[in-house]
Amino acid sequence: MTSASLAPRVDAASAAPTRGAPLPRKPGGIRRRDRMIGLLAVLPALLIVVGFMAFPVAFAVFISFTRTNGLTYDWRWLDNYIALLNDPIVHQVFLNNLKFLVSVPLVIFTALIVSVLLFERVRGWKYFRIIFFLPNVLSVAVIGIMFRNAFGFNGGVNQALGVFGVEPIQFFTNGTTAIAIIILALVWSGFGYQSLLLLAGLTSINPAVFEAAAIDGAGWWKRLWYITLPNIRRVLGFVFIINVLYTFSSLFGFVFVMTAGGPGFETTTIDYLIYLRAFSSSNLGSGAALAVILFIFIGILTLIQTRVFKLGEED
Amino acid sequence: MAEEDVIISKRITSGRTQWPVFVALTVVAASILYPLYFVIITSLRPNADYLQNPFGLPGVWSLENYIRLAETYGIGQAFLNSLFVGTVSVSIVLVFASLAGFALAKLPVPGTKYITATFVSVMLIPGPVLIIPIYLMLARLDLVGTYTGLIFVYVATGLPFATFFLTLSFRGIPDEVIEAARIDGAGFFRTFWSVIMPMGSSGLATLAVLQFLGAWNELIFAFILIPDESMRLLTPQLASIGTRFLTDQPLVSAGLFITASVPLILLIFASKYIMQGLQVGVSR
Repeated sequence: MTSASLAPRVDAASAAPTRGAPLPRKPGGIRRRDRMIGLLAVLPALLIVVGFMAFPVAFAVFISFTRTNGLTYDWRWLDNYIALLNDPIVHQVFLNNLKFLVSVPLVIFTALIVSVLLFERVRGWKYFRIIFFLPNVLSVAVIGIMFRNAFGFNGGVNQALGVFGVEPIQFFTNGTTAIAIIILALVWSGFGYQSLLLLAGLTSINPAVFEAAAIDGAGWWKRLWYITLPNIRRVLGFVFIINVLYTFSSLFGFVFVMTAGGPGFETTTIDYLIYLRAFSSSNLGSGAALAVILFIFIGILTLIQTRVFKLGEED
Repeated sequence: MAEEDVIISKRITSGRTQWPVFVALTVVAASILYPLYFVIITSLRPNADYLQNPFGLPGVWSLENYIRLAETYGIGQAFLNSLFVGTVSVSIVLVFASLAGFALAKLPVPGTKYITATFVSVMLIPGPVLIIPIYLMLARLDLVGTYTGLIFVYVATGLPFATFFLTLSFRGIPDEVIEAARIDGAGFFRTFWSVIMPMGSSGLATLAVLQFLGAWNELIFAFILIPDESMRLLTPQLASIGTRFLTDQPLVSAGLFITASVPLILLIFASKYIMQGLQVGVSR
């Protein structure tokens, strides 16, 4: 099975993920047995997923309405939510998350350039593809510490600046430079995978369109602007969505190993604050309420974004 | 891939644009490879040697950083712990997901629609939401500080995608083959073992690699659920070494390389499978 043959099936299934299996006609008794066997085969996976993913979400909602240390639960209605909405730290942390959004256009722009370059299919493009995918197989712990090291006091960047007579810079004692470095790490680790996603979009464009344009005398840039980009707007939209979601829900690893949220709360993100509230305060309810707010926020964001990008999807 | 090659040969590429594109790609590739090269070289030299000339080749080559990590910080044990947790959780995921995938793809399971919808929608749950409830649940079950609890979490978070992926992948197996097996008298497990497993092996391999990478690289739950230092997995151990030894770059680099080594080896030898899994990512 090649990747090319897998892709269309995936598309079809994502369009209708619930399409039932074709049922061969059989006598009723055997079919009933098949249904039972099928259900039994699905059951273990379903039970684990419901027990350890769906139930915890409901549990988190319950915790968020209580004041708790994990042993006794004291029902407090919306107290945790009200406290959070009036908490200046939460406001600051939310603003931090917005700052991290700067990474979204950077990653997409880099990925777009790389994907267009890969699309030229120069010699060895398949090896380039694997190299660009490389950061994706590494742990955030590895990437984060690598960047923290590189920009540390003795790190490669300061050593290189030293060659030009620049004094070593303390990148992580200043919120703005610390965020900039985390964003750099995000771009470094994210652009490769996304350029491959965009490349898949480019590959699905009918080559005849390019040929027709070339015959009409459209140059490389014109083809890029008038044919390539409009044709991959669906993939671009998808990439945009995953990047925004990532910024709000998956920065924990980077923040944890690179800055621990500091200085102060200047690099703390919402997901990191959930962790802080959960394990360094006496009230787990506050952390759970923050998690629920994040969940709702992400849900709304996803809905809005898919709506917005559905509009342009009439092809 | 043959199909793709035909398209390439048909594409209009002027020889003029080839060289600049190649050079640009090489520059981008270098921006990824150079930091890794730097980490590997740095890990093989003493700190004093690094501070003297960080960008040149080491004046002294040594494995002392690796030896120190193994002897003082138990990195070898952490490596084995990660390997154990990763292997066990991947095996469990593969068994349950392939059973469920086979049933959903080929059997008339009642409520297929709702079951699939459940698997797809839990994939959208952001990880941070699960931290507190899962910690409290496992604490209640006395599973905090055990690998069992952590493996449970990895299996649960891995299963939705795994089931979804294998359902798609098994759907590609022709119904006639399964029908033929049935006529020959093969029951559920016989069909599963002798038809689905071999014919879906490529999808299974892809999934095994992706799930293993996921478990190996995971940081939050590994950190929260295993507080005991002697039982730590590799990523939390690396994180604590990384924050403790800010001034000893070579030592931290050695830890980085140890943690990155397994994923890198997998990428080199299983890139075919990893790239296949990538296609599915688009649909997520």
